[in-house]
Amino acid sequence: MANLKDIKTKIGSVKNTQKTTNAMKLVSSAKLTRTRQLSQQARAYSVKINDVLSEIANRVNKVQDGGNTSKSFLQNDNPKTVDIVFVTADKGLCGGFNMVTIKTVVKLMEEYANKGVTVRLRASGRKGVDYFTFQKIDLLQKISTLSAAPDYDKASDFIKDVVEDFTSGKTDKVILVYNGFKNMLTQELKVRTLLPISLDDVEANEESSSMLEIEPDDDEEVLNELTGKYIDFNMYYSLIDSLAAEHSSRMQAMDAATKNAKEKVDALTIEYNKARQAAITTELIEIISGVESLK
Amino acid sequence: MNTIRLSIVTPNGEIFNDDVKTVTLPGKEGEFGVLPGHASLVSSLSVGVIIIEKADATEAVAINWGHVKVSESAVDVLVDGAVSLTHGEDSSAAKAIEDAKKLVNSVSDANISIAAVEARINSFA
Repeated sequence: MANLKDIKTKIGSVKNTQKTTNAMKLVSSAKLTRTRQLSQQARAYSVKINDVLSEIANRVNKVQDGGNTSKSFLQNDNPKTVDIVFVTADKGLCGGFNMVTIKTVVKLMEEYANKGVTVRLRASGRKGVDYFTFQKIDLLQKISTLSAAPDYDKASDFIKDVVEDFTSGKTDKVILVYNGFKNMLTQELKVRTLLPISLDDVEANEESSSMLEIEPDDDEEVLNELTGKYIDFNMYYSLIDSLAAEHSSRMQAMDAATKNAKEKVDALTIEYNKARQAAITTELIEIISGVESLK
Repeated sequence: MNTIRLSIVTPNGEIFNDDVKTVTLPGKEGEFGVLPGHASLVSSLSVGVIIIEKADATEAVAINWGHVKVSESAVDVLVDGAVSLTHGEDSSAAKAIEDAKKLVNSVSDANISIAAVEARINSFA
């Protein structure tokens, strides 16, 4: 049996770990509240931009009889080059949060590679960058400060090249992968086709589109501008969503760790008490047998 | 009174949502005013100042870039960045004007119009 001092040190160290994990849990829960507020504010914009984009898209498509739709809306079933944009966290200690995203990206890569499609990766978040660098898989674009502090301007900077490559025809499809917030207990992996935009995503609203006047007269120009905004915004939103999910995931992981630490302390305390009692018993026996021998 | 619903949203949240009498918007091809019952319209907005006339007050919001969707009963403005010029008290008003100028100056490719917009912003000081 381990000696008393060893067990006492162990209990102390586990208790310290417990303090750390508990603090991390509290920090994450505070940050989660803030991030969810951000996401609610962003939702107002999301509703409006979907609305406007769908009206213009419908109108432009109607004018052109749906035959010559703008490239951003043209569905392409046989892409040659696919960009995968994915978002992971900058930090670990949040359960399987990052691994779920990374695994999905790897799976998607394999699927496309089997079909003979060139896949290019663009990553936001240090954990994802680290993983692929370690596996010696090239990342076309990487940024590792954005995930922890989403910022609209930086997000649009990040996605700018993606849109440019798509518009110039270098890529045929852009997929966005991130682990999104579902509720306090679960995260939901989201795989979305960012470009081309499918009009199902943008809810169709037929009502007033025939009456709609567009200024400047160049419908395409307005549509292209709006498409750009839509993409920027979706990138930004996925960052917020991912951050919220990261915090909720970390909260859970740290909660579990704190509970584990508590159990460990309990078990160690019992072991300590047993060891103490054993020591006392041994001592007593020694004394008694000493007294007996003197008689 | 006849009013129209105006909402101004940025990716960071809604900054204005109220019934207004009229609103003047800096359209890409010139400034235009919207009254209740306006024909449906979608327009690009350039850098400038949105003037909002409510029943009892006038407000101004500086924007850097955006779109507007006008329908008969509602005006939805989508912008990247916006600063309200008339909201705060005296102390914060100066800061708002500072912020608005910064916002306007961050739009690099419209040098001629920026001076005009800045002049407008200053008129709210």
